[in-house]
Amino acid sequence: MLKTAEGTIVRKSVRVGVPIEQAFSVFVEQMETWWPAEHHIGGKAFESIIVEPRVGGRWYERDAEGKDCDWGTVRAWDPPRLVTLTWHLGPTWKFDPDLAKASDVAIRFTSEGPSTTLVELEHSGIERHGEGYEQLRAALDGPDAWTRTLEEFAKAADRGVRG
Amino acid sequence: MAIFQRLANGPLAVNELAAVLPVSRPAVSQHLRVLKDAGLVVDSAEGTRRMYRLDPEGVARLRAHFDQVWERALGSFEKAVETRKKGESDAKDSRGNHRAKKRPSGRTH
Repeated sequence: MLKTAEGTIVRKSVRVGVPIEQAFSVFVEQMETWWPAEHHIGGKAFESIIVEPRVGGRWYERDAEGKDCDWGTVRAWDPPRLVTLTWHLGPTWKFDPDLAKASDVAIRFTSEGPSTTLVELEHSGIERHGEGYEQLRAALDGPDAWTRTLEEFAKAADRGVRG
Repeated sequence: MAIFQRLANGPLAVNELAAVLPVSRPAVSQHLRVLKDAGLVVDSAEGTRRMYRLDPEGVARLRAHFDQVWERALGSFEKAVETRKKGESDAKDSRGNHRAKKRPSGRTH
């Protein structure tokens, strides 16, 4: 049984040196300041990423011309401790409004001190994106794919440190 | 995707899946076909029955995709938080707070 859950859940965590309120704020209210820029689903680059602060709220990106593109919805909202979002983007980064095909991303914030916050992310139900899997396989097998993306990230991170 | 979850516990035939799920047998078959085309499920004949099981490699690849998405996103999040913190203490511009909505720092344009 445990194998079931572990096989289709992706868990990640990061510890940041700011109070829990600030960690939550940056994550949810200032998502565009850190979300990898090429992971957008609209035709143009996003200018902002908005998570409406309530259960049932929209999660969407907005480009410079004010055009919106949905990403998902808010399933749970308990600031600054928890936000759960539905993820409607398959491996091809296309939005599918069908909730039955959406997975869940839960982000938990735990205060470990006045300026230390543990951020734990749990993405469950990823098998629901199985229908986009063929394209994913093609993308992953391509010569560029994630290798290039990760290289670009390393460069950007390096610039960030120096700048 | 209850079908997928059921199969994660071990191989099952179509009628076994239909018996424990609130959907029709044709619906189960259709969904199994989708999962099979997606490379997430494999089938094999065992006697007169066709058994379906998860394809561990397919599941691992799907998982790897999301693992990488979040590895990258959280790494970037961490950097944004640290950069912002540094920016606030140094009172100078940084990438992390160029769009600050709530906590404008003392930077100048």
